[in-house]
Amino acid sequence: MVTNDAPITGATIELENLTKRYPGNPNPSVDSVSMEIGAGETVILVGPSGCGKSTTLRMINRLIEPSSGRIRINGEDVTDIDPVKLRRRIGYAIQSSGLFPHLTVAENIAQVPRMIGWGKQRIKDRVEEMLDLVGLDPREFHDRYPRRLSGGQQQRVGVARALAADPPVLLMDEPFGAVDPITRDHLQDELIRLQHELHKTIVFVTHDFDEAIKLGDRIAVLREQSHIAQFDTPEAILTNPADDFVSGFVGAGAALKRLNLTRVRDVGIVDFPAVTVDEPLQDLFDRFRSGGSNEILLLDRRSRPYKWLRRGDLMRARGSLARAGALVSHTVSADATLRDALEAVLTDNGGRVAITGRRGEYVGVVDMETLLNSVHELLEADRLTALEHREELAELQESQQHQRSALEGGPGGGAADGAGGEHP
Amino acid sequence: MKWDRITKGKLLVTPLVLLALLLALYLWITNVSLDSIEKNSLNGGQVRLYLWQQIELTAISTFFVLVIALPLGILLSRGFARPAAPVAIALANLGQATPAIGLLALLTFWLGIGQRTALIGMVAYAVLPVLSNTMAGLRAIDPTLLDAARGIGMSPVGVLGRVELPLAVPLILAGVRTALILNVGTGTLAAFAGGGGLGNLITAGITTQRTRVLIVGAVLTVCLALLVDWLASLAELQLSPRGLEVHQ
Amino acid sequence: MNFWDYVSSRQDQLISDTFQHASAVFQCMVVAVVLGVGIGALTYRSDRAGRIATLATGTILTIPSYALLGLLIPVLGLGVPPTVTALVLYALLPIVRNSVVGLRGVDPALVDAARGIGMTGLARLVRVELPIAWPTILTGIRVSTQMSMGILAIAAYASGPGLGNEIFSGIASLGSANALNEVVAGTVGIVLLAFIFDAALVLLGRLTVSAGIRA
Ligand SMILES: Nc1ncnc2c1ncn2[C@@H]1O[C@H](COP(=O)(O)OP(=O)(O)OP(=O)(O)O)[C@@H](O)[C@H]1O
Ligand SMILES: [Mg+2]
Repeated sequence: MVTNDAPITGATIELENLTKRYPGNPNPSVDSVSMEIGAGETVILVGPSGCGKSTTLRMINRLIEPSSGRIRINGEDVTDIDPVKLRRRIGYAIQSSGLFPHLTVAENIAQVPRMIGWGKQRIKDRVEEMLDLVGLDPREFHDRYPRRLSGGQQQRVGVARALAADPPVLLMDEPFGAVDPITRDHLQDELIRLQHELHKTIVFVTHDFDEAIKLGDRIAVLREQSHIAQFDTPEAILTNPADDFVSGFVGAGAALKRLNLTRVRDVGIVDFPAVTVDEPLQDLFDRFRSGGSNEILLLDRRSRPYKWLRRGDLMRARGSLARAGALVSHTVSADATLRDALEAVLTDNGGRVAITGRRGEYVGVVDMETLLNSVHELLEADRLTALEHREELAELQESQQHQRSALEGGPGGGAADGAGGEHP
Repeated sequence: MKWDRITKGKLLVTPLVLLALLLALYLWITNVSLDSIEKNSLNGGQVRLYLWQQIELTAISTFFVLVIALPLGILLSRGFARPAAPVAIALANLGQATPAIGLLALLTFWLGIGQRTALIGMVAYAVLPVLSNTMAGLRAIDPTLLDAARGIGMSPVGVLGRVELPLAVPLILAGVRTALILNVGTGTLAAFAGGGGLGNLITAGITTQRTRVLIVGAVLTVCLALLVDWLASLAELQLSPRGLEVHQ
Repeated sequence: MNFWDYVSSRQDQLISDTFQHASAVFQCMVVAVVLGVGIGALTYRSDRAGRIATLATGTILTIPSYALLGLLIPVLGLGVPPTVTALVLYALLPIVRNSVVGLRGVDPALVDAARGIGMTGLARLVRVELPIAWPTILTGIRVSTQMSMGILAIAAYASGPGLGNEIFSGIASLGSANALNEVVAGTVGIVLLAFIFDAALVLLGRLTVSAGIRA
């Protein structure tokens, strides 16, 4: 996620040798996980079913009591404090939304603020604010019961409830697992926008790797017993998977997935001759004649892409703009991913697509050539950073080895968790 | 609290029908000539006493059923008490398989006759539906809801009071309604344990072969039963959480 | 006289009462099942009819059995007629309700499939819907049977047959030597009969519920 200047409201989370043994199972279900999560960071836990993602997540708010190990939030050891108090400081959203069916949307969102003793008016204002934040009209949804919401709306309310008391940490267990792909996409975009404003520390469980790439600042790929196979940025995991397990999990098409990580506005958008419909026809002809270009993009009165006009189109239509040229069928927002842009370029028979800004206004064009160049540059850059990263790691390990041999025999050599990595 | 869920029809039909029935009974009984036995059984004070006893029996026994069965049902659905649940249900089942009249008679031998004996029998007989419905209602709750409730920081008492019990209300109320009806019914048998009530009129009607006494006793009992059921149905409608209604 | 002496001395009477109790419940249940499933089958396809049937039988169930007997005696006299009538009426509700619920609960896709292969309404009912609804109906029959056991005991006061006579004769002779024995014999006999009937119905379920839909 791209960071901006909004203040970071999240807290750091440190897991130290967190282990869970269920009774009757000789092997621990989560075996000594250590992880450091920075304030305001979004960390995604991915891994095959049953590998212990949920168990790890639920140990953070102690819905599952760890068998051993420590949990620290913002440096404070919370392993032994009252779990009820702990959970009130941590937002929690789950797959089926977990909304209470006998309470209205507003009452659901108000639960935590009420428990921590906010005043009536403050809660009321907060509920409105939260509904706005997750994109639901307070007037319409305030008094609805959950059964009268769609799956996606329920999920939004679930997120609103989790965030209502402004907790620094948000835990999410496959929150978008039960909604259709289109809604899921919307909800993911929504979460990105939210995080842009709020900068919480989010720990998010999914087994959809694409979702992980889209949402995560860092991704922890887990294998059975929650052993960390790789914990790194999405770019690094895509271009430099640590081992076969990770590359198997990343799946085919890593390069294509890489396209999901970059936005159109961050690559070269080229200028393209454009004219609004209000300009006199003569200007149009002049453009064709002078510019040497074969094609012009016609914009409507609100400067949104309207038609592609080729040289000669106007003549064929006997000078009538209404009949000339081909309507613009696809546009792509500057906020869209490169993958969306590639999709649009491939579908368009002209091999280019118009890019629009926030309000749909024309900002430029992307074509096949610019896309290809951008992708090559991106992959090259990734490769370089990954190499640097690896060298750094090697140096670090070397220096630690030196330290360790220097301290040999002394108590408590600070064992570094290689997989833990550092927040870039 | 809004009352929009109770329609006029639900509010008026039953009481009007019952009122008409009672009026007809009154007019009929005051306009026929009664012999001395009938007069003796049906004098105003006597009938009123029996009616009052019947109401008292029903109310007190239902109160004790609730006081015993609700907490017990909640307790038995807590994790630590789960192993005891089948035992309790089996006991309650046995209580119900015993014919009510046999249960009352046995208690009479043990505790002597009187209202207290009748009440104990009635309570023993009606505990099962409330107990099993409370447990079923609590057990039927989607575990992810409980997970969510705990996850957002509710204490165990909070989870019980704000999520579990409200969600179990429809089933609990259905159990309470069943218990009420059972209690009105068993209440008519209290007469055999010396507990009073309208059963006395029916019994007197059968033993003295006085049809009119029998009819007065029976009709009054029927009216009381239907009235109690009607009240319970209103309570069920009104107290069920709104979000759980089946249709809008 | 201890309980076992009592039982052996009154053996014949007890056996005859037990037999009468069982036979009365059995016969009334047969009638109630035929009537109840019939009413269910006639009404389940209409929302309104189904509701009326359940409401009517539900109202009867609300009326205390002793009061219903009291209402039946002036019309039918004492003895068997009011007993049988009351028993059948009370047994109806659980059977009707469960028939309607069970028949309505049949997966619409199955009904559609049955129609698709050309079954008539009756064939559909008999060959598809009733077999699938049968476990639910059977549950209703079990509830009704247990209820009938207790109601028949009360009917003894209106000169009905069965083990209730033991109980009432005990109540009538409160304080006499055998009073407690009579009540215990009657009550325990009814409880035992109830268990035997229930076990028989469970067995019936095992034999008649298609293995394909057994839980
Ligand atoms: N209450 C429990 N008792 C015993 N074992 C459990 C319990 N809960 C989970 N497990 C075991 O712990 C392991 C990890 O479970 P967990 O729910 O954390 O997996 P997960 O990664 O979240 O899987 P999924 O993707 O399917 O949700 C599994 O092997 C599971 O069988
Ligand atoms: Mg899971």
